[in-house]
Amino acid sequence: MSFSLFMQHLTNGISLGSLYALIAIGYTMVYGILRLINFAHGEIFMMSLYFAFYGVAIFAMPWYVSFIVTVIITCMLGMLVERAAYKTLRDSPRITVMVSAIGASFFLQNLAVVLFGGRPKAFPTVQIFTDVIKIGTVSLQRLTLIIPVATIMLLYSLLYLVNKTKTGMAMRAVSKDHETARLMGVDVNRTITITFGIGSILAAFGGIMWGMKFPQIQPFMGVMPGLKCFIAAVIGGVGNIYGAVIGGFILGIGEIMLVAMLPQLTGYRDAFAFVLLIVILLLKPTGIMGEKISEKV
Amino acid sequence: MELLNTSNITMKFGGLTAVKELNLEINKGEIVALIGPNGAGKTTAFNMITGVYAPTSGRIFLGESDITGAKPHLITKKGLARTFQNIRLFKELSVLDNVFIANHLHLKSNIFEAVLHLPRYKKEKKSILEKSLFLLEKLDLLSFKEDKAKNLPYGMQRRLEIARALATNPQILLLDEPAAGMNPRETDNLTSFIKDIRDEFELTIFLIEHHMSVVMGISDRIYVLDHGVTIAVGNPYEIQNDQRVIEAYLGVSEDA
Amino acid sequence: MKKRDIILTIISISVLILFLMFANSRFDSYQIRILNLCAIYTILGLSMNLINGFTGLFSLGHAGFMAIGAYVTALLTMPAAVKNQNFFLQPIVPWLENVTVPFLPALLIGGIMAAILAFIIGAPVLRLRGDYLAIATLGFSEIIRIVFTNTQNITNGALGLKSIPNTTNLWWSFGLAALTIIFMLSLINSSYGKALKAIREDEIAAESMGIGLFRHKMLAFVIGAFFAGVGGGLLGNLLGAINPVMFRFILTFNVLLIIVLGGMGSITGTVISAFVVTSGLEYLRVLDESINLGFVRLPGIPGLRMVVFSSLLMIVVIFFRNGLMGTNEFSWDGLFALLRKRPSFLKREVGR
Repeated sequence: MSFSLFMQHLTNGISLGSLYALIAIGYTMVYGILRLINFAHGEIFMMSLYFAFYGVAIFAMPWYVSFIVTVIITCMLGMLVERAAYKTLRDSPRITVMVSAIGASFFLQNLAVVLFGGRPKAFPTVQIFTDVIKIGTVSLQRLTLIIPVATIMLLYSLLYLVNKTKTGMAMRAVSKDHETARLMGVDVNRTITITFGIGSILAAFGGIMWGMKFPQIQPFMGVMPGLKCFIAAVIGGVGNIYGAVIGGFILGIGEIMLVAMLPQLTGYRDAFAFVLLIVILLLKPTGIMGEKISEKV
Repeated sequence: MELLNTSNITMKFGGLTAVKELNLEINKGEIVALIGPNGAGKTTAFNMITGVYAPTSGRIFLGESDITGAKPHLITKKGLARTFQNIRLFKELSVLDNVFIANHLHLKSNIFEAVLHLPRYKKEKKSILEKSLFLLEKLDLLSFKEDKAKNLPYGMQRRLEIARALATNPQILLLDEPAAGMNPRETDNLTSFIKDIRDEFELTIFLIEHHMSVVMGISDRIYVLDHGVTIAVGNPYEIQNDQRVIEAYLGVSEDA
Repeated sequence: MKKRDIILTIISISVLILFLMFANSRFDSYQIRILNLCAIYTILGLSMNLINGFTGLFSLGHAGFMAIGAYVTALLTMPAAVKNQNFFLQPIVPWLENVTVPFLPALLIGGIMAAILAFIIGAPVLRLRGDYLAIATLGFSEIIRIVFTNTQNITNGALGLKSIPNTTNLWWSFGLAALTIIFMLSLINSSYGKALKAIREDEIAAESMGIGLFRHKMLAFVIGAFFAGVGGGLLGNLLGAINPVMFRFILTFNVLLIIVLGGMGSITGTVISAFVVTSGLEYLRVLDESINLGFVRLPGIPGLRMVVFSSLLMIVVIFFRNGLMGTNEFSWDGLFALLRKRPSFLKREVGR
């Protein structure tokens, strides 16, 4: 493989990894605070693509307005899902909440079929992002460079929010212990809702960039990225934001490189994440950055 | 004769040493108590002995066999049963089933014999049922046998936990705070109850307890832990007059 | 069992057989197909309930086990000529080409293959807990599907298998469903079944009572997979065509739905719910098709069926957390008690 081809694959892997990372953060944050997989996260991601699509293609908004509106609506959708599928079941057995979450995910998928139709739609292209540029012998879309930069900026704002603000402190407190946090005057329910909102905002950013990179949208497109990004979160150590980012990059770069190096395995591309998941779970069940949590006896 | 023996068992969680070089020697037929202030490492010691945690270092022997780091179910099979500080019954199952299940480890029939109700399973099931009912009767729980475990009053739940532990045919029974949450009268009854089951089932008993009246009333010997370190060993009289024990409980000036 | 109960049971079974005979001769093929599906989903629901409801393992790998059973049964029952017709992109591997066995052994082999796979998967996966187990089993089920999409000369890849012999009929599906019910009842009430329930209730306590967690979880997982494989085999030979897309996560979800609605840990609940959910899903197809009200034609809205269905599910989960039966089971005594209670309840209402 020539150097320029390798660089092409690597940059592709990095930008895919960045997108995985953004979505994985949403999983990891919700898991950290509720100890539950937000099965509907992939569908929130999918919905954000449709919002952006409708903004530009139907309501003819300029792309930046549409994208801002998308982020806001997606955030509200995420909080709504939390209110409907999670809050009502706060003290129920986990399996019930999981079923409810899977139910919410199927609901959104099929709602998308009903509202937007089952046929794939073409995501609007925004010239300044999708232009092809050439760096040396490597030619790539400008987007490929923008995605990692945007991801890093979002990650830093998130870390600032989690570590430096009062809301972030509340989130960290709730993730340690709901009851204690409540006693300390933290509004637990509000904090959980905000966490869902923030996760959804990141999913919306991820979604918009995803749409520009892979401009075809359909109602079931959230399933695979959703599963893969949860896997990314697990690989990195679920509950840990850095872990989600690391996991996202490992998965994104690994996937692209696997197909690049061993083209005969192209059909197994989607299996890569699952195999990696199982390997990690066997070697280090808590993920790369995770801490061991054991039940008190 | 020595039944349970630990040599220098130590448990570290990260940088924290929860139990340091604990040496227990418990003889057959004895009632031995493990006491100490909150956070002294008593339950951690229990969890090491019962296999919930593998000790960081040191060895544990049950009779002749080394059980260090063995899985809890294998340790139970070897004749060591326990109860839990925060009652862990099979809440949604009936009182009878709770005890019945504790016999499962000795079942010889395989799953096909069980599903097809072949003769060996039928015979085993009958004897398990008889034994379970006998235990429930012994512990005054027979009239509740069809009730769900979670619906029993608190004191009875504790008794059921003991009945369940007894059903595994233990040589030694570990009780984690059997008197927790009991009123003074119940506590008095408990003292004689523990002695009774010791005699009736030829048990050795090792218990963690905070109620000093219980501890002093039944223990042959007492181990005292403080911050993971064994600070005293002796009979109730010796322990009551041990300066370090008194300090540990009442606190010395630097601590208070 | 009491004499009365035995008689009542015999009567109900005879009524069921008479009904099946009637259905076989009078119902149209669509109705018969729905009845078959109900029975097959009973098997699938029971097998998943053993793993998820009785043992408390959150496994989401059912579609994978069903895929194994369906493919193995289909490939073993298809005659060589049909196989060659199917495999036009790449010829089928020679060792599979000429193997054709009768339906029952094919089903059993399908179930056993699923069980063997469960055993291999279970070794690493069953050490995980809760959500990790869920995602890992889901992962394995997806891997099976992806492998089946890519093994062109064994499974015919994405094209799937067509013209599978339609061997499944009411006698096969209801017969095997009845055997599954009897097996599960017997298992659940045995010492092993109680041990599984103990694991569900409290793993740590169960282990302290001498129950080997890994061994017993494996037992439930393997038996569950076996019946899932048999159910998958019945399904494939009922539909006559299978392909990897059929065995997506939604299939697992449908079965999960059945056991949640019926009550996790209730055999009766699963059976009732399998019938209600399966026929419900079929009848809700109306929503996807256009409705003719005589004077006006409402266009069908594709996807509405699943929207209605998933909202129904969420409503049930949120408001009736224990499902239809909770962990209770049907008994004749219970039924009579219920019947006696009703009239007095009504009387009180009237009197007021």
